[in-house]
Order: sequence, then structure tokens, then C-alpha cells
Amino acid sequence: MLNRFISHLFDIWEIITAEVRRVFMDKTTLVIFFLATAVYPSLYYYIYHREMLQEMPVAVVDLSHSEASKRFVHKLDATPELAVTHRCPALLEAEQLLDFHQVNAIFLLPANYADCLNHNQTARITCFSDISSFLYYKNALLGGSNVMLDEMHHIELQHQTASSLDIHSAEVQEQPIGIDDIKLYNPSGGYASYFIPALLLLVIHQTLFFGICVLCGDANENRRALKYIPTRLRSRSIYRVTIGRMLCFLLIYIPITLFDLWIVPRIFGLPQLGSATHIVLFLLPFFIATICFSMTVGNLFARERMSILLCCLFFSVILFFMSGLVWPQSNMPRFWLASSYLFPSTPGILGYVRISSMGATLAQVRHEYLALWMQAGIYFITSTLSLQFMSKFKQ
Amino acid sequence: MWKVAHRELRRILKKPSYTIILTVGVAISFLFFATIADEGQPHELPVAVVDLDGTYLSRRLCHELDATQAVNVVAVYHTHGDARSAMQRGEIFAFYEIPHGTYGEVLRFRAPSLELYTNQSYLLAGSLSYKELATMGKLAAGAVQREVLRKKGMDENLIMGLIQPIALDTHPIGNSKGSYQVYLMTTIIPGIIILMAMLQTAYVIGREQEERTVRGWMRTARGNAMKAFVGKILPYMVYYTLLLLVAEIIMYGPMHLPMSGSWGLMMVLALLSVLAAQSAACFLMGCVPDSSVAMSLTSAYGTLAFTMCGFSFPVDAMPVPMQVFSMLFPLRYYWLAMRDITLFDNGIGYVWPQLCVLAVFGLLLVGGAFVFGRQYERRVKC
Repeated sequence: MLNRFISHLFDIWEIITAEVRRVFMDKTTLVIFFLATAVYPSLYYYIYHREMLQEMPVAVVDLSHSEASKRFVHKLDATPELAVTHRCPALLEAEQLLDFHQVNAIFLLPANYADCLNHNQTARITCFSDISSFLYYKNALLGGSNVMLDEMHHIELQHQTASSLDIHSAEVQEQPIGIDDIKLYNPSGGYASYFIPALLLLVIHQTLFFGICVLCGDANENRRALKYIPTRLRSRSIYRVTIGRMLCFLLIYIPITLFDLWIVPRIFGLPQLGSATHIVLFLLPFFIATICFSMTVGNLFARERMSILLCCLFFSVILFFMSGLVWPQSNMPRFWLASSYLFPSTPGILGYVRISSMGATLAQVRHEYLALWMQAGIYFITSTLSLQFMSKFKQ
Repeated sequence: MWKVAHRELRRILKKPSYTIILTVGVAISFLFFATIADEGQPHELPVAVVDLDGTYLSRRLCHELDATQAVNVVAVYHTHGDARSAMQRGEIFAFYEIPHGTYGEVLRFRAPSLELYTNQSYLLAGSLSYKELATMGKLAAGAVQREVLRKKGMDENLIMGLIQPIALDTHPIGNSKGSYQVYLMTTIIPGIIILMAMLQTAYVIGREQEERTVRGWMRTARGNAMKAFVGKILPYMVYYTLLLLVAEIIMYGPMHLPMSGSWGLMMVLALLSVLAAQSAACFLMGCVPDSSVAMSLTSAYGTLAFTMCGFSFPVDAMPVPMQVFSMLFPLRYYWLAMRDITLFDNGIGYVWPQLCVLAVFGLLLVGGAFVFGRQYERRVKC
């Protein structure tokens, strides 16, 4: 019994060493495994390190020329989101600036702005905003409404104090219920803190997938598939090959994961609320599922070295959207929601972001964790079966 | 050149699987992005209320929140911890906490505060639910204020001017409803097609090297690397330009995504973008000797384009070296010109610089062919 167990371990060890050699002999796999995982996270962090768009140029058309309208424009300029770069006498001129993208939004203050305020009527300010990127629109909306609220506060206090109320009761009457807003987990609403944790996991998922598929494609194309499987392991014992290969990729990805998920977030100061133990426990089924999923696809469909890279690269974009981080899962059509669970990246990204950025515990991501273990089990079986099928087919 | 194109067509027909798979890939992506965000903006986002007050005011706030289209109150909790935990489980995106004694303080004119917690790890869902809940909170406050003013006997018209002295009307240009579908589809679908054109170009050039058929290919082109490259990419250029146009016709036609400009310009733009992407692929394949490594680099370059085109995170917000780097991506120029044509109704007077740059990308084809030709000659001499 013990002897058999030890001989199994030796078989697995043999496969691991053979596989590691294969990975390090293949330039493409090395580029995908090591270069991509090092360059992508750093590059993306550098791209997004300013977190948000600041001082977006806007044009103002002030037809009122009153003290109140000037105060509004000054406040617009003072917001971190907007910078009033052009003051235009007429809308036509501002529209031209917008057409040439010299400004991203126009604020139009009507001629009757001050009159309306003086007569206790609602004064309407119009904002035309570029929406080709949502952040332009968000900045215009956020900057504009913050100034509007501030001005409203100012005007109402003026009204109340004019009607001889003391400041405190004026404030109470003006704002009977206040709202304290608390933005959790990413207080500045920054892009890097939102995007990078998900990207890190997607990069790990995709590099593993494409790297493994390149190796499988290479073996299939050059009829060397059998060369890497010792004859005695080609029938029932073939699961040892799957285990060996899985352990090999797992070993290779230990330093990569340490760099991507431990060093990179610390260098760049990304939110890291989760406990390391929970992250490691969560990542274990993620890796098993991803490796076995990639081996299944690689064994069955990779006919040539680069064919999977050619056919599946576009899917990276879809996988990111499937994770539910952009478009919430609660609003996804059922079909896509169900299909998204075919890929380990979906529960992987969702769970990882919750643990690392939101400080969730393993129990709170139970749903995703179970999904990953199920995927790991199913894909382990499919990758073993596909390997057996391929080896019989090749023989 | 025509002979090379003819040879390439025969190669495609002999092994049509990749072209078919990629076309199916475009169809899947199209369906995905057309159906996933067809609401325009996410509706009925799950939110919760932590009601520590348990009075008329808190119940009314719950009802009012529930009545809006954007959010849906899925739970009412009695402790802060429960709500926080639900947020970590991903069940809700935001919650209001109504502290104990809020209503009583309103009646005593003490200006209490509500606490609004939003999850900003989900940028879209977090900011949308924030916007909606903050507005509803303000309205609820307004309602209380209105009651106070009415009891003082103030005129109804004046009350509105007092409660809301300024209103901000926003008009997003070209996409008046602020639809996410318009924003996603018009960039991502062309981006995917351009990426595929680039990858397949790189792939077929790489295959010639791996199958050791470069000699036959060059012989068909009579040893002229330029003709060999142009003939090689021609069938794919035609195919992917057509594919891009079909996608655009479906998007701007039956799907009614906003399109205010000229179709002629869109066609020229489609052709030039595909050509530019293919030229970039030819350059990489010509300059990097190992075809598989070259293909991996092309893939990295192609996927980066989705970020560097600046549709999600504007290029003006990136650091300066990255702003310069973004100029190396054909998708960036496609996006710049596309927004001008479809959203701003700008004509050739505005988009000619982008079209010119895309045409200049064609020079990369010449560069790639030159390097490739020299390497080939050296190898033949050896």
C-alpha cells in the first residue's frame, strides 16, 4: 500500500519535472507566463495612477452677467473636477469649442438667472456634456451638481437670514434632514482601486489559459503529445499526469501570484483589507479550476501552437464584463449569467475583489468559493478524460 | 500581388476553420454586448435600509426608494453590521442608515442626519445607487421642508423656488439617455473586429514561417516582400472591413444607436482602421524573428488598445508618457473619429487628421516588408 503510494508520488514528480522543463524550453510560454504577468499590472497601474479625471476643461456662457452667476462660475472653476478654460459670449462659440474637443462640457447660465433667484423662482442652468467617455459626463454632472447644491445652500441661508432668523434656525429650516455620505472601500471613487484588483486576477487567468494552450497546441501539432506521457501512465493512471501538470503550473505561479497579488498592491497602495489566509484559501480552487479548464480546452481544441490565442483573445474583454464588476450581475440576462459560471474567472474575480478590497471573509464569499471548487472538480475530470481521449486517438 | 492574394484565398479555403471561428466570435460578442446592457442603465439595483428609527419617516423613505426605477429595496436590517455584511456578500450596493430618534429630532427642529453608505468597488453600480439614493434623500428632506413651509401659509409657487432655487438640466451630446449600451457597443465591437484582423494577419504570416512555406510564398510574389505582404493581407482586409461595416450597419440601423454623421466617412474610417491594424501586425511579424513570440506581442498590443483608445478612462487623465503611447494604437484614432462622426455630426473638416494618421500607419507595412525581405534574402544566400 505504502509502496504503491510512493510510486504514485514518483510518477507525479516525474511529470512535474518534465513539464517544468517544457515550460522553460518554450520562449512563447515564458513570455506569456512571466513577462505578461509582470508588465500588465505595472503598466495598468501607471496608466490609472491618477485615479480620476481632474480639471476637465469646460466653457461657460454667462448671459446673466450678475453677481450670482459670476459666483456660480467661480465655484465651478474651484471644483477638482472642472476647470473653466473658456468664457464665451454666445452659445455658438462654445459649441464650436466642444466640436473641436477643446472643452468637454458647456454650462449655460440664462439671462434671467439672477432675476429668477431674486423672485424666488427656480433658475435653470443647462449643461451640454460630451459623453463619448462616461467619465467626461460624470465629471460634468458631479462638478455641476456639487456647485448647484452649494449655491442652493448659500441662497437659502440668505433668504432665511433676510427674514430675520438666526443662522442656526435658518440652517435647520433650510435643511431639515442632512445626509452624510460614506463611500466604502474606494472613497475617492478612483479608477485604479476599482479596476486593478479585477485586472490582476484576469491577467493570471488569461496568461495561464493561453500559456497552457500554447503548450498543448505545440504537443498536438508536432505529434509529440505522447512523448510527454510515459507509456505506463497512458491508460487508467493518466490522472497522475493531470495532477503532475497541475502541480507544475501551480508551482510556477506561486512566485508570480506573490508578485502580482502581494507585492504589486503594496507598491501601488491599492486597497488590501482581506486576510492573507483567506486569500490563499480562496485562490487554491481558483488555480486548480483555471489550470484544469485550460488543459481541457488545450487538449481538445488546440490544434496548432497559437490557434487558441488567435481564436480566444477577444474573449478576455467579454470575461471582464461577465465578472459583474462593470455591469452588475443582478442586471445580467440569465443566459449570460449562467454561462459566465463556465469560466473560473467569474467567481474568481468576484470573490477576490470582495476579499481583498472589501475585507470579506471566506464565509461571505461562500457562493463563489463553492462554485470554484465545483469547477475545479468538474474540470479535473474533463481534463483527465480529454487527455486520455487524445492519447488513445494519437496511438 | 494578385497571385499572392489568390494563393492566400486558396489557403483560406483549404482551412476555413479559423475564419469561421473568428466570425462566430464576432457574432457572440455582438450578441453579448447587445443584450447585456440593453436597459441602457442598470435598473432595480439592490439596496437596503437600516431602520433604527422605526417611525413614519423611515417607512416613508423605504416606500419612496422602492418606487423608483433605479433601485430596489431588497432588505430592511436592524443593525449596521447586518447591512455591512450583506454588502460584503455582494447582495446590496448601498444602504441608508436611519439613526434612532430621527423623526423626533425633525419635529424638534434639530436637523438630524441620515447616513448613506455606497460600495465604490463597483464603480457603475456604486455611483448610480449613490446618485439615486442621495436624490431621494434630498426629496424626502424637501417633502418635510415643504410641509413646514405650507403650515406657515406660504404660497405653493414660492415654496418650489425656495426648496429648489437652481435646477441643473444636463444634456449628454448624441446619447441623450446616457445609455451604457451606446457607449460600450460602438467602441468594443469595432475594437474586437480590428483586433481579430490584426491577430489573423499576424497568425497567417507566422504560419508561413512555422510550416516552412515562406519560400513558396515569396516565389509567388517574385521575391518582392512588399507584394508578398500586400497580397497576403488583402483578403483579410476586405473581409474584416466588410464585417466591421455589417456590424456598424446593424448597430446604427435596426438597433438605432445614435448616428448623426456621414456613412461615407464611416466606411473610409473602417477600411483605414483595419488596414492600420494589419500594418502594425505586419511590422511586428517582420521585425521579431520568432513568430510565436511576435504573435504574443501582437496579442498584448491588441488588447492594450481597448484601454489606450481612451473610451473608458480618458487619455487626458493618463500620465504624459502614456498619452504619447496612446498614439501608437489604431483603435485610438478609430474612436476619436467615430465619436466625431456618430455623436457630434462632425464632417471631414474635423476627422481628417485621424484618417491621415491611420493612413500613415500603412507605412508600417512597408517597414515590416522591408525588414522581412532583407532577412529572407540573407537566409536564401546562406
